[in-house]
Amino acid sequence: MALLSVEDVVVRFGGLRALSETNLQVEEGRVTGLIGPNGAGKTTCFNVVTGLQEPTSGRVRFDGEDITDKSPFRRARMGIARTFQKLEAFSSLSARDNVLVAAEQRRAWDRSINPKAVTQEILEKVGITEVADYMVGTLPTGTARLVELARALAAGPRALLLDEPSSGLNEEETEEMAKLLRVLVKDGLAVLLVEHDMSFVMGICEYIYVLDFGKIIATGTPAEVQADAAVQAAYLGSAAEVVA
Amino acid sequence: MRLKFKPSTLVAIIAVAVGVLYIINANRGVAPYSVANFGTVIVVGAALGGIYAISAGGLVVTYATTGIFNFAHGAIGCFLAFSYWELHVNRGWPTLLALAAVLLVEAPLLGLLLDKVLMRRLRNAPLVVQLMVTVGLMLTFMGISTTLWKPITPRTTPAFFQGHGVKIGDVTATGHRITTVLVALVIAVLLRVLLYRTRLGISMRAVVDNRNLAGLTGARPSVVSGASWALGCMTAGVAGILIAPETGMVVENLTLVIVIAFAAAAIAQLKSIPMAFVGGMVIGLAKAFTSVFVSFGTDWNYAQEAIPAVILFIAVLFLPQARLETGSVRLTKRTERLTTPKEAFLGACVMVGLVSAWANGWIPWFSGTNFGERTEIWLGRGASFLVFGLIMLSLVPLIGWAGQVSFANFAIAGIGAILFTHFGGQNGSPIGIVLVMLVCAPLGAIVALPALRLKGLYLALATMAFAEFTDKVIVRHPQMLDPSATGRLYKPMKLLGFQMSSDPADRKAFIIFLVIAFAVLFFLLEVLRHTRWARRWIAMSDSPAASATIGVNLITTKVAVFALSGAMAGFAGCMYGLSSGSFRVDSFPLFLGLPLVLLLAVQGVRFPVAAFMGAIGLASFPALFEVLGRPSFLTSVELIGPGIAAIVMVYRPEGSVFYAGRDLAGLLPWRRDAREEKALAVAKERAQDITKDEIGELGLSRPFTIEKVAQLDRALNIADEMLERPTIGMTLDDVEEVTGGAPVG
Repeated sequence: MALLSVEDVVVRFGGLRALSETNLQVEEGRVTGLIGPNGAGKTTCFNVVTGLQEPTSGRVRFDGEDITDKSPFRRARMGIARTFQKLEAFSSLSARDNVLVAAEQRRAWDRSINPKAVTQEILEKVGITEVADYMVGTLPTGTARLVELARALAAGPRALLLDEPSSGLNEEETEEMAKLLRVLVKDGLAVLLVEHDMSFVMGICEYIYVLDFGKIIATGTPAEVQADAAVQAAYLGSAAEVVA
Repeated sequence: MRLKFKPSTLVAIIAVAVGVLYIINANRGVAPYSVANFGTVIVVGAALGGIYAISAGGLVVTYATTGIFNFAHGAIGCFLAFSYWELHVNRGWPTLLALAAVLLVEAPLLGLLLDKVLMRRLRNAPLVVQLMVTVGLMLTFMGISTTLWKPITPRTTPAFFQGHGVKIGDVTATGHRITTVLVALVIAVLLRVLLYRTRLGISMRAVVDNRNLAGLTGARPSVVSGASWALGCMTAGVAGILIAPETGMVVENLTLVIVIAFAAAAIAQLKSIPMAFVGGMVIGLAKAFTSVFVSFGTDWNYAQEAIPAVILFIAVLFLPQARLETGSVRLTKRTERLTTPKEAFLGACVMVGLVSAWANGWIPWFSGTNFGERTEIWLGRGASFLVFGLIMLSLVPLIGWAGQVSFANFAIAGIGAILFTHFGGQNGSPIGIVLVMLVCAPLGAIVALPALRLKGLYLALATMAFAEFTDKVIVRHPQMLDPSATGRLYKPMKLLGFQMSSDPADRKAFIIFLVIAFAVLFFLLEVLRHTRWARRWIAMSDSPAASATIGVNLITTKVAVFALSGAMAGFAGCMYGLSSGSFRVDSFPLFLGLPLVLLLAVQGVRFPVAAFMGAIGLASFPALFEVLGRPSFLTSVELIGPGIAAIVMVYRPEGSVFYAGRDLAGLLPWRRDAREEKALAVAKERAQDITKDEIGELGLSRPFTIEKVAQLDRALNIADEMLERPTIGMTLDDVEEVTGGAPVG
């Protein structure tokens, strides 16, 4: 039984079908990839899971419970956290306070933690202690993305949704990010990853869903997906130039 | 149009309808429901409705095409109506020539100027700045109109087609009214056709959805926004000129039409021109209907005037829930060092010291001693400035931290002052103050409740409607305030050894008590800023979507800050009562509350100290009058100054406290951080000289020279990224960021 499952979700914006009968399962202890060309519906899918977008039809289940009608903050309290493709950091707070807000909020449903200590621990884990006291608005985009990741982790999630975490990071930092993700899933976290950097995706995901025009066109291990003709036509064909 | 209601919405609609019918039935006037009476209602109502529809249509067009809600729409219309009076009546130009000069020359030029100087820079500004600048613009135009056309001289503009009219049954529809309805219809149709059927209109709508993408497909964002504002000003002018003969040439009346237009625009959900027309008509007919058939009795004398405010409130209630939007976070390019509690304590001591020294006459010039027998008057004024300072202080957590722009606090303070007469103000009991605060806290939250789930703009509108409703209905009800009660409503009160009353002899003690209370609240706010509450409010203001996804309950978080702010406003109201000793129904009107919000924003809405500077700012005008011997130019400065100051926020959005604080700290030898901060900010500002608009236009104009590409790179901050990722250059993400309207950097 997967921790998080999206079942037959349809999202319609007027005449446009952003998602049509999308199904995917995110399991604990591994990184699940969600890839596809721009506009395929990846971010819409994230919004449906976190409650920012109401699906036209279909259900979202978390830990066996139907959460389709729950508000975003209730889902967060159940253990779903995310980062955003377009930066949603609290730009007028310091990096430390960004993380602290999430940790303090977590105390509302988990009295056992000490927000300040948790914050420090996560800042170290993500590797942003040096910039912790700068306002996020003054940080480079890549670093601000790490702050978002740290903030998501501070909420104490069981499922973590990452929307293009490596954009804005250099190769070395991307490598660091991959290492961190491996540590996190080893501790039992379920990660759903949207990413354009193919070597990053293929290196870290155990299972991959490929979206195109709101439809899942392929699923499987990285090797299977790469070998899939439909995927190559829809996606890798055009992205290969970028990666190369 | 598709009409589809959820069951809960349907229940609410029925409930409102039943409520409205009940109120109409309970307050039936003497006029019978006759054909003749209904004829009057339709003739009068349609004419009024036509004017509201034109105003609302203009509002919707500028909002739908530029994303900026123009609070100055009514004031611009008022200014143009006065221009028309000047040309037509005063200088005797023929009607058509004067109309053409105002509507086809002056109005579009004004619109282009506003766009070029202000609005274009405002587009990417935070909502607080957008609102403050357009409200400032409103006050500026009101001030200019009052200065150029002094209200001492009565003015009238003639109605159109005077003497002509059509008799329908027993009712005569005057030529002016028929013209109004026809013009409204024509304008609504033209606007609709323009937006949906012409290339310019389609570009206009495309630009508001995604300006950079629209730019890439060949629309020119700057031409489009110029056209929007020119069009907006023209419709404002038409409405102003048509309504002037109905309301008289009075600046406040002509400007207040805007509150009604807001209601019509809210019915149109700020996007549909046909619905704006319908909304205007509904309000016009409702006003005419009630004036003929409904008599609210002496207790609710002014209820009639509050109808638009009520409709606005109800319209807001029925708006569909706003989605939590992402991708709109604006990166704030600044650093900030929080004030430590120790520094805050020192600051509080300085405030108390300064005001006490002034009250004792130790500071020349602005001290009472220099003005001889005027001392007591000045102490009294000083107290009221501090009371207004307290109201501004109540706005700091609400607007500055939580980003909730509310215009209700001034009205809440007024309600607090009235409640205090019931809760012990009449017998000098300090417990009354606590009771008032306990009532005002939930009141603040209740006012905001309908708008909590909506975009910030609707909160501003709903709170403005509440302020107008309070002004017209609540404070005028005899149960609240006996209209015959003049003289002293508040008995002197003894608190912590201070004798507080409006008696001249007590004023010095009272002002010292007030500044201590102010300083204590200031200090507590600064301490609060370091707690999780303030952090959560700021986080919510920066990104509501991200806050929700880390588990923040946005509704309760907002309610908490509204309650805090309401309680503080209630306290300020009690202090107002004690300091003035009496209360009149017109002590807290909407138009006095707006400058307070502006003054705070200009000083720096995120900083508690700005409220103190705001109080000093309030004192500065009367003080200058006193010192300079009442020169007449100062009157116009006082009228126009606050608006202009707010408009300057386009260029200095953080508020003067921020810039002055940074620059002053830079002078201290040990604050190297402040100097570096400033250098960094200046460098960043320079890098941002090229706005995204210009990127759009640069990207369009060929041929691409090396200079242009370099300029683009600089504007997009690509240079930094290239250094970090030398091999990749511009990836798909970057392209998406350019085209997707994401903040640059």
